Amino acid sequence: MKSSDGNRIRLQPMWRKVAYGGRQPGYDDNHTDESFLEEMVMNANVVKRDLLKVMIDSVSISQYLCIVALVVSTWTLTLNLDINETTLLKLDVGLLLVGFSVLLLTTCPFSLKLLAKYVLNISFFISGLYVLAPIYHTLTRSISSDSIWALAVSLLLVHLFLHDYSGSTIRPPGALNNPKLTSNISLNASIVASVLVASRLPSRLHVFAIMLFSLQVFLFAPLITFCVKKYHFRLHLLFSFALMVVTLSVTYQLHRMFFILLLALLVFISIVCPYWLIRIQEYKFEINGPWDEAKLCFDITE
Amino acid sequence: MDGTKHRILMVSDFFFPNFGGVESHIYYLSQCLLKLGHKVVVMTHAYGNRSGVRYVTNGLKVYYVPWRPFLMQNTLPTLFLTLPIVRTIIIREKISVVHGHQAFSTLCHEALMHARTMGYKVVFTDHSLYGFADAGSIHMNKVLQFTLADIDQAICVSHTSKENTVLRSGISPEKVFMVPNAVDTAMFTPSPKRLSCDEIVIVVISRLVYRKGADLLVEVIPDVCRLFPKVRFIIGGDGPKRVRLEEMREKFSLQDRVEMLGAVPHAQVRSVLISGHIFLNSSLTEAFCIAILEAASCGLLTVSTRVGGVPEVLPDDMIVLAEPAPEDMVRAVKKAIDMLPGIDPQVMHLRMKKLYSWDDVAKRTEIVYDRAMQSSTTNLLDRLPRYLTCGSWAGKLFCIVMIINYLLWRLLEFLQPAEGIEEVPDIRPLHSQLDSRDDSCEAQEKQI
Repeated sequence: MKSSDGNRIRLQPMWRKVAYGGRQPGYDDNHTDESFLEEMVMNANVVKRDLLKVMIDSVSISQYLCIVALVVSTWTLTLNLDINETTLLKLDVGLLLVGFSVLLLTTCPFSLKLLAKYVLNISFFISGLYVLAPIYHTLTRSISSDSIWALAVSLLLVHLFLHDYSGSTIRPPGALNNPKLTSNISLNASIVASVLVASRLPSRLHVFAIMLFSLQVFLFAPLITFCVKKYHFRLHLLFSFALMVVTLSVTYQLHRMFFILLLALLVFISIVCPYWLIRIQEYKFEINGPWDEAKLCFDITE
Repeated sequence: MDGTKHRILMVSDFFFPNFGGVESHIYYLSQCLLKLGHKVVVMTHAYGNRSGVRYVTNGLKVYYVPWRPFLMQNTLPTLFLTLPIVRTIIIREKISVVHGHQAFSTLCHEALMHARTMGYKVVFTDHSLYGFADAGSIHMNKVLQFTLADIDQAICVSHTSKENTVLRSGISPEKVFMVPNAVDTAMFTPSPKRLSCDEIVIVVISRLVYRKGADLLVEVIPDVCRLFPKVRFIIGGDGPKRVRLEEMREKFSLQDRVEMLGAVPHAQVRSVLISGHIFLNSSLTEAFCIAILEAASCGLLTVSTRVGGVPEVLPDDMIVLAEPAPEDMVRAVKKAIDMLPGIDPQVMHLRMKKLYSWDDVAKRTEIVYDRAMQSSTTNLLDRLPRYLTCGSWAGKLFCIVMIINYLLWRLLEFLQPAEGIEEVPDIRPLHSQLDSRDDSCEAQEKQI
């Protein structure tokens, strides 16, 4: 029994997964062994997601959406001349102070040097803006208002679409990686939209005030929210919910349709989308195996 | 083997004067098939002013079709525009099997589609590996699925490549044959004088690009130089990552220990190889890797990353494998240096002669052709369902493409009947006239 077994093995050697040595005796070249696709791994890197976590993560998006909605509301109120320029300037100063204090409180090594740098930059920025305000004021005089509104709305949509919701385009102190191209495009779109809207205002001081307001928000709001989020996550959630409530109440008074649209969007982003993501997770099908290109385990610094 | 002689058309975008694994595969396979008595014609696109019909060694006829390459030596995908010329060549040369090479050759895919439309047997060889994740791979895999949906037989160069191809295209594994590459052992002989082991030379010959692991070399070379004072590197090849290697050389002051040769013409690869003891391959992905065979045939011990089909290529005592991480590569180089006194280049060369030969590859490919000829002939209506199964949208799209191609073919048959196309008389290759019994077709010099 034993010898016949040995005989059989000698006659039919084991198939090996090798390419050398010509055709393996006893096996055709199209032989498919039992070990075929043995090393294939399916869904190795799939992260199990939890609905609640995805919903909480989506708060960042809702929060920024509310910020933009607030800016648009301010624009509308200013254009309707419901807010005068002094109120607007007071708002600007208030926002600036709040922003600074948040930045100083949340940035861990509190340094006077950093503060001085920020103050200097901001003062350059404000004086530059003040000098340029007359130019913005008459910039689009020859263009019809309809085109301006259409352009401003599409630019805002581009801004929202390309915005970097997880980070900040302005580099927070201590951040390592540079902002991506898309987030830069997004920032530029928002600035152009602000210029367009500002150019429709009646006086230079109006233009200056609204430009300062929009730029403050578009440039620094992501930075502030990013710092808050990094500092304390609960605080971030609390702040976001407060912001949502404020925004919804402002838009409710402003325009009923706008309110409904915003509410629907918020529900869609923070409830429908996370649920959807969890649902389509089960269709995830990922294949890995020895044929994959190896990943380098170190950084390539060009 | 039933002894019938085939008339084969090899199609690929990649052929001499371009150089690489696919090119030499087609060249050597064609030469050896010619020697076995088959008729072989190669079709590729025009290279520079090399356009029209050329004959290379042993009467191998090459059609350089006047289509210009537009990206990475590929012709512009036109789906139907190559039909007339493919049809004319097939009829003129009385072809029976069309054999396409390389998954990213557009000319290959188009020619196989036309050949199927005209009812010829088709065989496809896949020379590369693809992932499944990025957009480029997804697109390529769909194209491959289209071509392989109605293929007679497919060939892969390693078992890993076979697994990959089966997964990518969803064809039955029984249809896929594993026929490896080989090496011209007559061309890659070790140096007659054995090198001294006082100084150990590690040779790297590869294009210096990301996929070939040039970044890995940048990490490995300084460590190896630090650990082994008698090791010297020779790096042959050019590419975008050459600057990084030169920077590394400056940074660690290794100018006297790392020699950079720049691009090495294929004819001089052997002379570079035989000046070293160890061959280092750092590829991140590789279906087969002919470079390893060339090095082993020159008697070098190989150190390579364990990726793709590389572990299948050589027996364990001829290669040291390492994970594609710097520390493991350094460990493998150390192991190879320890193994070095026990390696005799002449013995290794003789082993390689037994392990790989293009004649063996040609004989195994011949079996694939025989199988392809045995498969039943089908008409368009039988074939369409095979395309339909390729996907809910893609399947219908593929069917439309095939139907249009069929109609175009019928139109061509009407406008330019096959009887009107002159058939080429066969010129028998020189060595079959002389009835030479020479076993190796590899020593023949290439004259192109």
